[in-house]
Amino acid sequence: MKDLAHIYELENLLHDTYNEPSRRAKENGQYAIGSVCAMIPEPLLNLDNCFSVRLRAPGTGSMEMGTYYMTSIMCECARALLERALEGGYGYLDCILAPDACAQMNRCVENIDKLKLCDNEHFFVTYSDVPMKSDETALRHYVRQMRQYVLEPLADRLGVDISDAALARAVEKQNRINSLIMEIGAYRKEDRPRITGYEFAVLCLSTFVCPKEYMISILSDTLEELKKREPDERSAYRARVVMVGSEIDDPALIRLVEEAGAYVAADCYCLGSFPERTMINLTDDGDVLTQICRHYMEQGQCPRFMNTDKIRQRHQYVDALAREYRADGIIYEQIKFCDYWGYERAYAGKVMRNDYGYPVLSVDRPYASGSSGQLRTRVQAFVESIEIKKGSR
Amino acid sequence: MGKSMGSEPLGKLYNGRKAKRRREWRGLKDTWYDYVHWLGIWGTLIGFVLRPANLKAFFRYRWMVNYLAVPDFFDRHTEGMRGTQLRVARVALELVVRDMCKSMSVMFRADPACGNDKKLNEKLVVFDENMMSQIMNGFPNLKWVSVEVPAVYTCAMMAQDGVLYYLDAAQEYGIPNDVCPMPAAELGVALKGDYPRIGRCAVQCNTTCDGSLMGNGIMASCMDIPTFQLAVPIRHDEDSVQQYAAEEILNAIAFIEEQTGETFDWNAFFETMKRFNKETEQLLEWYDISRTPYPQITGNSLSLYRYAVYMAAGGRVDDFLKTDHKLTKLAMKGYGRKELMAKQVRHRAITWGVQSAYYTAFGIWLQNCWGIVPLVDMLTLCSTRMIDTEDKDKAVYDLAYLYEKMIMRSRSNGGYEVGVADLWRFCESFHVDMVIMYAHMGCKSMSGYHGLFEEEARAHGIHLVWATHGLMDARTASRKDMRTEVNRYMRTVLREEPLDASLEDIDDELAW
Repeated sequence: MKDLAHIYELENLLHDTYNEPSRRAKENGQYAIGSVCAMIPEPLLNLDNCFSVRLRAPGTGSMEMGTYYMTSIMCECARALLERALEGGYGYLDCILAPDACAQMNRCVENIDKLKLCDNEHFFVTYSDVPMKSDETALRHYVRQMRQYVLEPLADRLGVDISDAALARAVEKQNRINSLIMEIGAYRKEDRPRITGYEFAVLCLSTFVCPKEYMISILSDTLEELKKREPDERSAYRARVVMVGSEIDDPALIRLVEEAGAYVAADCYCLGSFPERTMINLTDDGDVLTQICRHYMEQGQCPRFMNTDKIRQRHQYVDALAREYRADGIIYEQIKFCDYWGYERAYAGKVMRNDYGYPVLSVDRPYASGSSGQLRTRVQAFVESIEIKKGSR
Repeated sequence: MGKSMGSEPLGKLYNGRKAKRRREWRGLKDTWYDYVHWLGIWGTLIGFVLRPANLKAFFRYRWMVNYLAVPDFFDRHTEGMRGTQLRVARVALELVVRDMCKSMSVMFRADPACGNDKKLNEKLVVFDENMMSQIMNGFPNLKWVSVEVPAVYTCAMMAQDGVLYYLDAAQEYGIPNDVCPMPAAELGVALKGDYPRIGRCAVQCNTTCDGSLMGNGIMASCMDIPTFQLAVPIRHDEDSVQQYAAEEILNAIAFIEEQTGETFDWNAFFETMKRFNKETEQLLEWYDISRTPYPQITGNSLSLYRYAVYMAAGGRVDDFLKTDHKLTKLAMKGYGRKELMAKQVRHRAITWGVQSAYYTAFGIWLQNCWGIVPLVDMLTLCSTRMIDTEDKDKAVYDLAYLYEKMIMRSRSNGGYEVGVADLWRFCESFHVDMVIMYAHMGCKSMSGYHGLFEEEARAHGIHLVWATHGLMDARTASRKDMRTEVNRYMRTVLREEPLDASLEDIDDELAW
């Protein structure tokens, strides 16, 4: 297929921790709000004159300093972010609004905080307690926490407008992004998809690290382009898969999977499109913040939600995705040392294989895994096993 | 061996095999005391096994074999002790064993595979291992039980290879080997079907860590009884989370009421919590003694006993309060006589981080070998807030606070203030010059502070000695590895000679 017009530009900006659109936004007086977890609703980080930046550490090589501060048994993502912070990579941030969601990422942020690694004059960090269950009691708690540790600090320290009207505008902006991503992602359902999983991952990831206004125009152009884009005559892929697991902040991993013959038809991981790019439906009745929090609590698929209903719902969610996007198999991936996904990968892998009948590849991986030969081999073997099963039917 | 502490090398007791070559001679009076109590423990164990349901359990559950090591556990945990220290250890730990035997007897009586007492089974509510039991104080007609404690937690303390089989089972299932071995072993027992299938309902909790929470999720699917997941806030030091914590406690109470048909009895709750408060008062007395040059209730005698009082007994068992008073009396006597915890107290220490379950006697080795007296440990330093016993609304908030301050999670969750900053406050309060920092390889919560601990210890002028371990998996870091780290620090950094050189390098790889 012919390259998408903006793909090269986006690939390039993903190489940077402080990318060009963010620089421009900062120069225009906007505040850069650092985020490390999907449990802080994204619209709250994009209020008024703020734009959210999901912390990443592209091009990570050595993470020796991060390892010194957090030891080698910690999640490589958390260590890589700390390493990047130690290198001064997040000096431009005005704050980090972090939930105490997983202990490892919390420790990363606490190290950034205590070691004073961001020297921006406004810089501050807040930690909020976010729900581990999806019910009404948890929702009330969630709303209180978001008000106290996200909205109020933004208003008090940066003078951000946190009114209901501002919240509604932020949701509208978020929904514009979400609808564009969903429309683009829907092309992955086609027999001969006109977008690769890798291209989609680049587009989707960019929406987490660039100001929304910039991304709306890019995505709109891309959607128009896709409407006319001609897919390849013959598909290079031998199987379709859903990619599920811990956060993927480097599309190179998706490229690796696709190069091994598995088309990534749907994504259900942190920084992917499901569930983070599903539409937030606001109604006129009821508190706006509560509605936003409800969406994130009910849609959230993070394994830290511990109640049994939610655990079952996670499996049903992946099953529904696999059906809708006509996947032949599921890849559960986990950044090594992640406790949540370590358990979920083992358990869900069994459930999806035994109860739902999907072929499942279950892998743990390093943070920077885009060139892992072992991973490539495992995906190739998985694709072959799917082909054999298909052939024997 | 003689009457005085450190009169003979203790290293001779280790011969590289399971049992020690001989029992320790502590002088006539102390040896007689120890021997009589040793017989008493055998009496307790024999009495336990003579119950038919318990005997059946010995053959039904693989993990029960670990309890053959109980007498050895006492030998390990009283090594080198004399006088008050010996008596404190015996009195405290023996009650824990007796209480465990009672609890396990209830469990096996109800167990369909052993006693099959269906009526009793309907009265049992199964609680998560690391979860406070105090909610059950308001249900006097029901019985609290934790199947994980006897199957996993104490097994790992009795024998260093006590739960390896179950750890392997969890890893065969697909759980990565870098997670905390405790929830992994608990899951392994569930996967192997080795928990008694008992209880009217169960309450689980986001207890210690992310791994523990996740293990519970899978375990809930293995249990055939209704299960409530109690979500306790992570940022437990913040005022902003207390309302949610209290609401969740009320949700848990409502769940138990719904499942069992019982009603929460506030009078019963208040009565037992009064006892719990009195137990806390005793603990504070012991802490005060530990702040003097003559601490008396320290190390395992404090920590293992306190876990039982704080989490399991929870004010429901009068024997614990009686024993608290007895311990205070003993401690005051020892303090009056200016008795020391080691032949020579060279360093006053706090142990921080999660202690190794397979080497709970590490603290005793520290004091016998190097004169490092571990006064208090991180897991014991939980809440000492008194629970309101008159106002229901306040009591719920206090109870919720207590649940937030569960052992381990009160420090492993909650952030820098409770995980790091509090340590230096305790160091000052207990006049400590050394921190023995347990580096539990599966504990991400504490590992995330590694560099901050190092830097801040230097700033506070505290000796920080790391002791790396695998909590319940001695294959990843053996007891000897833990000792070696201390030996190196003491010789190379402090340039000290051991008090008992025979303990510096001992072979206990095959010991219980």
